[in-house]
Amino acid sequence: MDDKRSELKKIIMDTKTLPTLPGVINKLNSLSDNDKASVQEMAKVVTSDQVLSARILRLANSPSYGFYRVSTISNAMILLGVNVVKSLALSSSIFEIMEKNSVGLWEHSLGVGVAANLLARRLKLPECEEIATAALLHDIGKVIVSIKCNEAEKEILKLVRDRGFYIREAEREVLDTDHAEVGGWLAKSWFLPDKLSEPVAFHHDVVKSENHRIKTSVVHIADVLIKASGFGNSGDCHVPKIQQVAWDTLKLNEQVLSDVVDEIEDKLVEVKNFSLEMIGS
Amino acid sequence: MSRSTRITIVSSDTQLASHIELRLQSKGYQASHMPCSDSVLGVLYSDPPDLLIIELSSKMGGDEIVRTLRSDSFFSAIPIIGLIPESDFDTFQWGACALDDFVHMPINFSELFVRISLSLARIKRIFDNNPLTRLPGNTSIQNAIEDAMGKPLMVCYLDINHFKPYNDVFGFAHGDEVLRMTARIMFNAVRDSGGGFCGHIGGDDFVIIIGSERFEAVCQTIIKHFDMIVLDMFDEETKKQGYYPGTNRKGDKEDVPLLSISIAVVPMNMPKLRHAAKVAEVAAELKKIAKNSAGSRYVVDHRNT
Repeated sequence: MDDKRSELKKIIMDTKTLPTLPGVINKLNSLSDNDKASVQEMAKVVTSDQVLSARILRLANSPSYGFYRVSTISNAMILLGVNVVKSLALSSSIFEIMEKNSVGLWEHSLGVGVAANLLARRLKLPECEEIATAALLHDIGKVIVSIKCNEAEKEILKLVRDRGFYIREAEREVLDTDHAEVGGWLAKSWFLPDKLSEPVAFHHDVVKSENHRIKTSVVHIADVLIKASGFGNSGDCHVPKIQQVAWDTLKLNEQVLSDVVDEIEDKLVEVKNFSLEMIGS
Repeated sequence: MSRSTRITIVSSDTQLASHIELRLQSKGYQASHMPCSDSVLGVLYSDPPDLLIIELSSKMGGDEIVRTLRSDSFFSAIPIIGLIPESDFDTFQWGACALDDFVHMPINFSELFVRISLSLARIKRIFDNNPLTRLPGNTSIQNAIEDAMGKPLMVCYLDINHFKPYNDVFGFAHGDEVLRMTARIMFNAVRDSGGGFCGHIGGDDFVIIIGSERFEAVCQTIIKHFDMIVLDMFDEETKKQGYYPGTNRKGDKEDVPLLSISIAVVPMNMPKLRHAAKVAEVAAELKKIAKNSAGSRYVVDHRNT
C-alpha cells in the first residue's frame, strides 16, 4: 500500500505544470492582445483559476527569484511584472478533453475562494487575500489526481456513484491517500508558503493544522458552505458537517454564519455570471 | 562551478536541436531543446538557463524572443548565441537583436564550443549588475546620469527607511529578500509606465531615471506596492503593532517602525545642475527632508525652478 503513496508523491515532485480550462486561456489571450488591459483585469482572471494561481505563486516563490513567501496573486504580479505573468499564462497547457467534472471543480474552487473571502472579512481576520488564495487552491489535489491518475480517478468516481462514498473515502480506498494530502504535497513541492499549503493539506482535518489553524478553519467552513449551496461540483453530493474545532477556532455563532450564508448567496449570482463568461467562451 | 552549466537550445529543426544537445552533453553541459513557439518565453521565464542557443533564420520568430528576453534586466545576464545561415549575414538585423555571439550554419562544433566558453566568461567579467538584484550597478548608473543631464528627466534616489535595524533583527537573508523585492517593484513600475532606467547603487540605495511627466505616477506606484508587499516581511504580531523591538544607531533599545521607502527626486533640466556629482549631493539633502516624516514618501527638489 505504501507503494502507491510514494509513487504518487514522486509524480508530484516531477509535476511542473498543470492544465487549465481553455476558456480561461482564451480570455487571457484576448486581454493580452489588448495593450490597455489593466493589471486588475488580468488579476481577476488569474485569481479565478486555481491552476494558474498556483503556477504564478510557484514562479514567484521559486529560488531563482529569491522571494520566500509570496502568498497572494496581487503581490506575485507586482514582483514578477505583467509581462512575465502574461507569458506564463499563455504557455499554459489546457485540458485536452473538456469534461463536466473539470468545469464543476473549477466552479467549486472559485466558489470556495469567494466564500472564504466573505467569511474572513466578516470576521475581520488578518490576511483575507491569503485566505481566499488558499481556499481557491484547496482542491488542487483533485486536479492532480484527475490528470496524473486517470484510471484511478475512474475507479474513485465509480465508488462515489455506486456505493455512495465520500470522494475522500474513495480516494483513500483507491490511492491510499486523498486530494487534500496530495494538494499539500504539490504546494510544498511548488515552494508555496505554509499559510497556503497548510489549509490545502488539512481542509478536511482542521485539528491537524497547527500553525495556520484560523486560515484552515475558514477554508474548511467555506468548502462546506459551497457544497451545501450546490454551486459547482466537488466530486460527490455529500455535505460534510462543520468540524467543531473550526467552529471554536473562529468563535463563530449562528447569527454570523447565517449572515455570511446570505452574503454568499448574493455573491454567487455574480460569480455564476463570471463563470459563464469564462466557460462559455 | 558546483553544478553543470545549463544550456537551452531553441530551434524548430528537431534533428539539428537534438544533435546539438547531444554534442553539448558530451562536453558535460546540461542541455535541453525546444521548438520555436509561443510557449518558449514562458518556459524560459519559469526556468532560466545559464546560456541560450537560438536558431535565427529569417522565417522564424527567434529574434522576437531575443528582444523580449533582453527587455527585462532580470534575464539580461543570460548569454545568447544565435545560429544564423551564412546567406542571411547581409540582411540580418545585427544591431536590433542583442546577441552575445553567433555561429553560422552549418555548424562547426569546435567553434560553437569556443564561443560558449567565451560568452560564459564574458558575462562574469564585464557584468556590472548587482548580483543580488541583477540591476545595473554604479558604472552604468554614472553613465545614465551623465546622459540624462539637461534633459526633461527625473533622477530619483530611493532608499529604505529603518533597513539596518531590520537586517539586525530579522537577519541578512530576510534583508536581502527586501532588497530583491524593492528592485522588482521599482523595475516593474518603471517598465509598466513606459520604460526608463533602474539601477542598484548598493545596500538599500537605488536609482531610477524617468521622464518628468511620469515620475509622480511611478513614485506613487512604487510606494503603494512597497507598502503593500513589505507587510509579508513581518509576522502577525509586528504587523498589528506597527513596530518591533530593536536597537538604534547609538545602540539603545527602541521600538523600530515597519519598513518604508523614501524617494528624493532631482529634475535634470535645472540650469544650476552642471555636473553629475552634484545630483547625488542635492539628493542627499532631499532625503533628510523625506526622512523627517514617518512612512513612505517622495520629495522633489524645487529650489532652482
